[in-house]
Amino acid sequence: MIPGACQSLNGGSRSVLEINGLKVYHGPIEAVHGIDLAVAEGTCVALLGPNGAGKTSTLSAITGTARATGTIRLAGRDLGALDIEDRFRAGISIAPEGRRIFSNLSVFENLRMGAATRTDGDVTGDIEDWLTRFPILGERRGQSAGTLSGGEQQMLTIARALLSRPRILLLDEPSLGLAPKIIGQVFDLIEDLRRDGMTILLVEQNAGAAIEVADHVYVMVNGLVTRQGPAREFGDGSGLMDELTGVHG
Amino acid sequence: MDYAIQQLLNALSFGAEYALIAVGLAIVFSIMGLVNFAHGEVIAFGGYSMAVVGTILTGNPLVLMAGVLIACVAVSLLLERVAFRTVRNADITTGLLTAFGVSIILQNLYLLLGSPRPISATQFIFLDRTLMLGPIHVSSLQIYETVTTIAAILFLTLFLKRSHLGIAMRAASRDFQMVRLCGIRANRVVATAFAISGLLAGLACIFIMARRGSVTPHMGFDPVLTAFIACVLGGFGSLPGAVLGGFILGFLEVGVLVLLPQTAGGLAQAAVFLVVALLLFWRPDGILTPAAEKGDKL
Amino acid sequence: MTGVFLNTDQKRGLIGSTLLAILILLIVGAYALWGESYQARILYATFVNLIVVIGLQTFMGNGNYATFSHAAFMGIAAYAAAICVTPAAMKAVSLPDAPWGLNAFEMHPISAAFVALAITGAIGALTGLFMSRLTNVSITIVSIAILVIVHSIFLHRTDIFKGNQALFGIPRVFGLGHVTALVILAIVAARLFRESRLGLRLRAVADDEVGARAMGVNVVRARLVAWIVSTLFFATAGIAYAFYLGTISARPFYFNYVFLTVAMLILGGLRSVTGAVFGTLLISLGLEIIRWLETGPTLVGVKLPEMLGLSGLLLGIVIVGVMAFRPHGLMGNREIEDLVFRRRKTMETSK
Repeated sequence: MIPGACQSLNGGSRSVLEINGLKVYHGPIEAVHGIDLAVAEGTCVALLGPNGAGKTSTLSAITGTARATGTIRLAGRDLGALDIEDRFRAGISIAPEGRRIFSNLSVFENLRMGAATRTDGDVTGDIEDWLTRFPILGERRGQSAGTLSGGEQQMLTIARALLSRPRILLLDEPSLGLAPKIIGQVFDLIEDLRRDGMTILLVEQNAGAAIEVADHVYVMVNGLVTRQGPAREFGDGSGLMDELTGVHG
Repeated sequence: MDYAIQQLLNALSFGAEYALIAVGLAIVFSIMGLVNFAHGEVIAFGGYSMAVVGTILTGNPLVLMAGVLIACVAVSLLLERVAFRTVRNADITTGLLTAFGVSIILQNLYLLLGSPRPISATQFIFLDRTLMLGPIHVSSLQIYETVTTIAAILFLTLFLKRSHLGIAMRAASRDFQMVRLCGIRANRVVATAFAISGLLAGLACIFIMARRGSVTPHMGFDPVLTAFIACVLGGFGSLPGAVLGGFILGFLEVGVLVLLPQTAGGLAQAAVFLVVALLLFWRPDGILTPAAEKGDKL
Repeated sequence: MTGVFLNTDQKRGLIGSTLLAILILLIVGAYALWGESYQARILYATFVNLIVVIGLQTFMGNGNYATFSHAAFMGIAAYAAAICVTPAAMKAVSLPDAPWGLNAFEMHPISAAFVALAITGAIGALTGLFMSRLTNVSITIVSIAILVIVHSIFLHRTDIFKGNQALFGIPRVFGLGHVTALVILAIVAARLFRESRLGLRLRAVADDEVGARAMGVNVVRARLVAWIVSTLFFATAGIAYAFYLGTISARPFYFNYVFLTVAMLILGGLRSVTGAVFGTLLISLGLEIIRWLETGPTLVGVKLPEMLGLSGLLLGIVIVGVMAFRPHGLMGNREIEDLVFRRRKTMETSK
């Protein structure tokens, strides 16, 4: 197979990320039991499922923070031998679960960390763009990031992840623990990013909102992909929620 | 008055030396959770390098000072590469015991290859002169020591606040993995921490050599032990805590020496540690505990 | 009767201690049959070290902390026992300036041992109040501070402790038989402690402090009890040391001894009593060989140079090597009966 020529399962456009037979381990425990997944260029793929389904483990395998077998390709390049730093430099950036902003650094310094690997001159300009886009971050640029609210921290972590200009953005539970109004803002941002042509892999428990922004949906239960298809097949996600809670209960 | 100012300067210079060493310990601990027991042996290595270079190459003090700094940085980096990289992700006790083992190895290497007796290296003694500031006698070495330490701490602060790598190091003290997820190489961050730690050890080594004029296998032990106590007192892993702890220890030591009767001079260290133990009973986690509570990462 | 008080793990512990006791008795038996008299001293020292290492295991191993103050507690007990047991007439010579009438009384060795245990235990309890409240790193650093404080007191109060000079004239009331009995007692006690509810809690805390706290384990109390228990082991070793040698000085109760015993524990594995025993025996044997090399012996006609520091160097290499390649030591979590039972199980399956 010619690298990069593999067709994605959704729509036939080029896959940025392609995963085959992925198994992920936490110590001796196998958390993901062999899944296939593809994200096409410029699309948003949602990975849904209940707690403990293996969604975050899948993302950890992609970023290189969990032990895994199987193949992970980024634009046709096998990432298997790369460590965390080199996968990031290859173009994989994550806004992780729990946001993990550097609470002892200022807002501005957090953003600088996101752009630390860039060598072009526009870094400061890009950071300023983000600070204008989220005025609340702009107002607090010098403040310690630990003082931000949950929603502000979420915006900061997404901005930090994007400042490296990645090929694909991984978003892990961006709506977790946020007020409904803030969740709306987060999903508006994801919608904007998708429209700008960003490739996104979104892990969510909030199925309804995720399906709305996604082009393609995968459902994971107990470490396996149980269902996948274009987002429109999932309606508003209410059926899916019943299905998931049914499986769970 | 004369006496009070002399004692104040004593306390400042003792505190400065402890702070230099304590910051070197804290910066490595804050990033990789390693309690570096081998730090004292890095200082002694600087002393031995000075003795060797001073005997066979040149007695020029400036060259020797540069040599001591380079030697301490180099050996610190070497230890990281050879011994501490394998236990980088291990728990604290494993890392601590490894460092303890490295410390024993180095001390005994000095014994085997050097000598259990002091080896003289007196090129820095000229730093220690008696100056007259008006009517007051002070030691020039103590002034150099205090000023150098303050300058070193200022430079370090500037580095940590301004440079990419410095910011990354501060970030790494909270969430090392997230720093790697920002593409910054773990090896570079850790190596920088060890290099800074070695550089500070080198500075301390220069002052210790200026005071003693000789090197022994165990010369780093007492100051590093006191610096460890300073770290614990300030809150282990906190850089400001290390500085604060260092100066508190300096003042305590001078205070104890002034207050204790002359006959009890041998108990000064014991008395200092006892006071610290009482302080720790009041605040078990140190005075400036870093706010790295487990919930902080969520 | 005992069956009522022991849980099943502790019963396994008794089986394991019996196996270890047999090993100890075999060594003593081998000495009795083939040994030379100078080796009695080496064997005695090994057994004293063994009691110390087992004591270390109870706190360091179960709690997964590194502490370095044990030589101090051993010294306290050795001096206390020595001062109590030495006849007043002898003390008039050896401690002429002792305050508080310390040189004006004498005790039966057993009473002296109990006084030494009580004093060490009391100091253990006092320091335990600090130690049990501290966190991981601070425990280590403060334990070093304790070692330094006690040592400087030994050196400074020459009127009581003679400092680096020998305190002599202690009646030599112990022999190899006594220390053998004490070692076996120590093994049994350490195993029973390890498998007790408190030992189990302590190990749970070592694995996951937050989790164990959430389960209602009182971390501070568990640490305090383990700390005091371990000081009693050190005290026993110190008493045995003083009662055999007849002279003591401050020098052995310091860092070199700490290096030695910590290396022994690490080699065998912090987490098991069997590991403590194996590590001590292996390093003691290795050191005898190295000590001989250090004196610069003539080997196949070649006079080797005197190599001061070689034993320390090798101890350091053992520590670093074990930590890098086998962080849980030779035994890991296993005890001797696990080895025996596993073998039996594989034999059954192979049938």
